[in-house]
Amino acid sequence: MSLKDLISPFFVWQRAFEKPYTVGLKPIVERPGAPAYRGFHINMSDDCVGCGSCFTICQNHAIDMVKVDGLEAHGGDSGLRPRFDYGRCCWCGLCVDICTAGSLRMTNEYAWFTTNPDDFRFVAGMENKSWDGRTGGYHRHPDYHLFPPKRIEMEMLAPEESVASFTEVAKGYTEEQAKLEADRCVECGICVATCPAHMDVPDYIHSIRDGDYEKGLQLMYRTNPFPATCGRICTRRCESVCPVGIQGEPVAIRWLKRFIVDQVAEADYARILPNVEADTGKRIAIVGAGPGGLSAAYYLRLKGHAVEVFESQAQAGGMLRYGVPSYRLPDPALDKDIEHIRSLGVEIHFNHSIGRDTAFSDLLDNYDAVFVSTGLNVPSQMRIQGEDHPRVMDGLKLLDDVANGKDPQIGTSVAVIGGGNVAMDAARVSRRLGAEVTVLYRRRIEDMPADTEEIHEAQAEGCIFVTQAIPVEALNAAQSDQVTLKWGEAEMLQDPKGGRPRPVLQEERMHLDTFDTVVSAIGQGSNLDYIPTEISDQLQIKWGKFIPGDYQQMVLNKLFVGGDVANATADAISAIEDGHHAARGIHRFLDTGQRG
Amino acid sequence: MNSMLERLSKEFRVTDITERHPGLTTLTADKDVAETLLRELRDREGYTHLNFMTAIDYIERGVFTLVYMLHNYATKSTLSVHVNIDRVNAEMTSIHTLWAQAWTYQRELRELWGINFPGSPRVEEDFCLEGWEEIPPMRREFDTVEYCERTFTSREGRGTVNPREHMAEIIFPNRGGDK
Ligand SMILES: Cc1cc2nc3c(=O)[nH]c(=O)nc-3n(C[C@H](O)[C@H](O)[C@H](O)COP(=O)(O)OP(=O)(O)OC[C@H]3O[C@@H](n4cnc5c(N)ncnc54)[C@H](O)[C@@H]3O)c2cc1C
Ligand code: SF4
Ligand code: SF4
Repeated sequence: MSLKDLISPFFVWQRAFEKPYTVGLKPIVERPGAPAYRGFHINMSDDCVGCGSCFTICQNHAIDMVKVDGLEAHGGDSGLRPRFDYGRCCWCGLCVDICTAGSLRMTNEYAWFTTNPDDFRFVAGMENKSWDGRTGGYHRHPDYHLFPPKRIEMEMLAPEESVASFTEVAKGYTEEQAKLEADRCVECGICVATCPAHMDVPDYIHSIRDGDYEKGLQLMYRTNPFPATCGRICTRRCESVCPVGIQGEPVAIRWLKRFIVDQVAEADYARILPNVEADTGKRIAIVGAGPGGLSAAYYLRLKGHAVEVFESQAQAGGMLRYGVPSYRLPDPALDKDIEHIRSLGVEIHFNHSIGRDTAFSDLLDNYDAVFVSTGLNVPSQMRIQGEDHPRVMDGLKLLDDVANGKDPQIGTSVAVIGGGNVAMDAARVSRRLGAEVTVLYRRRIEDMPADTEEIHEAQAEGCIFVTQAIPVEALNAAQSDQVTLKWGEAEMLQDPKGGRPRPVLQEERMHLDTFDTVVSAIGQGSNLDYIPTEISDQLQIKWGKFIPGDYQQMVLNKLFVGGDVANATADAISAIEDGHHAARGIHRFLDTGQRG
Repeated sequence: MNSMLERLSKEFRVTDITERHPGLTTLTADKDVAETLLRELRDREGYTHLNFMTAIDYIERGVFTLVYMLHNYATKSTLSVHVNIDRVNAEMTSIHTLWAQAWTYQRELRELWGINFPGSPRVEEDFCLEGWEEIPPMRREFDTVEYCERTFTSREGRGTVNPREHMAEIIFPNRGGDK
């Protein structure tokens, strides 16, 4: 041992009496972490949607998704929240980078003392912590994204081109585009609960990443036998809750669905999709060959039941055939879906109206179960004077004529009344027939029930929108083949109870405009005249709509209902789900005699 | 700056010249000219400082992109030189003769990405992963989660709920596709 070694401890001791550098006088002054320091997590729990992307990306399994008191799962939010285990976190910040809602970040707090190691496992944002409310720390840079915030744009026909014909407007993704778009999906599955049919969205999107379109088709048919149709015209509620859409544009779920179907030839369907199970000897009657009726037919037939569909029209598809115009849904796409259902042995009696050609009660007597999905085909009245003027036409009739190849003779100037999808379709069809089109709607553009995309396309195609306009009367015009519409401006009156503002007619601001045709498209109701009163009296029906119980079953055990005539959403995918659910109920009922 | 970049793109077949923000430009150079280019930048263009070296694994394209971050103190500009190298038998010329500190980065690159730099001092030695027996952990095929699960234990009381399944149970218990 050297002399230095021997005496150095004394030098150290000498220091003990000096003023220390590190520990100041109390209170101890803490040094804050650097501004972008990756310290303890903070989660804005109200903004978090419980998608679990943070859980999925964490390479250390430091996160669990857990139930927390007071939060329930509902559309767009799983109700779960991330719980962090600081025994495993390495402070990489990936969870912050991926957070779809932008609710998660890290503060620059880094000191935390506790004697209980379990404290270091905590649900950020749900437990009070000393760093709550801190603004410093690591945030994802607004320009840095782990998935692109913008969707791959769908190529559309230019408006000049689209108004010139009934050619499909959306061109469809190429494989390269579809793969890029599929890559934006975080596969959280939040959308599945909101899709009325609960389609396996993340799984079929994954099949695009894998390039396995047959698998994708199989996944879609588990819940929806109309994927070619829905891939084009679905109301896509799923997209409205897609967490990727919170800070950017939602994944283009509808276009990806279309892409998959477009990759598989109809001739291959029989090989790829499930086949009919052994014959059960049961017979089921279905009234209406729209998406509701045919969806029920598909799932019942798969279970081995004999299925007969009665349809008043000459072709199947319901409103998808006679309402939705072909530039949005070309016949070959709809036919692809319908042909596969028919190929399983579903029998359709065309031009066969229940109530006229066969009594409704006969169906109940002669079949083991009956499913009714007769839709809404009676246009609502505007309730204005002169509504029966020969130049006033309803939107459904216009669309029906066009679908049947008839010329509806609308002339060259058309007013369309209404703000829903039927109104948009009537307006855009009229443009294609060569008319100048004015759309009159009683509220504001943002109040229109029509899909915003539809509204934009109608505008791009040259339809003129006049909002806060209330029709008052249809009058004879100077020329006998025209009609003069009297309409008044409306002011929006705020509802003191916070409901949606109400348009109020301004009597002193009236207008008179003359058109070749006024098309009324303000809604439609049902026609249930085919059900004799002794039966309908026993059923729960309100405002012309059935009110079904569980599994779409009515009080008459054999009778199941669905589609527009039994739901509040009135879109194709809801009808499809009603059909599927009724099929499940009917199968269960026939199998076990159990009610819903 | 621009005339320099023009000259480089001609003489060194440099591509993808992008100004990320004022003071930071990225460019891509071929593997076989990279060393000469770096020397040129150091000796004739004032990029005397090597800030750092790193790599990015573009597994989809089968390449590693080596990143050489250089700084010019006079113009206060940073140049990020990207060089794509094959992922299989990944190997690159050592630049420890240009910047002595490069050998440390190269040792790190060898350990974490499995990229070899023949002739670089002590490149074979462990850097920070002592006794590592897996594939290099920064390679994208390395399954970090799987490794963590296998290597570290979790405290008792852990457990996660799958959001999609949870929502199915609460919101649509008997709907959706057949299980
Ligand atoms: C113009 C227009 C545009 C639309 N656009 C969209 C859209 O973009 N996206 C979307 O999701 N939805 C859209 N819809 C709504 C969608 O078409 C319906 O929600 C869907 O077709 C409802 O299906 P369903 O089976 O309930 O009834 P329907 O499709 O109406 O089918 C009912 C069938 O029953 C038949 N029928 C009725 N009574 C009898 C009887 N007594 N005997 C025998 N057969 C009978 C009818 O002929 C019809 O074929 C649109 C509707 C219209 C009118
Ligand atoms: S910071 Fe990294 S390690 Fe920690 S929880 Fe987030 S992703 Fe996991
Ligand atoms: S990624 Fe964000 S929104 Fe999703 S669960 Fe985690 S914290 Fe919540």
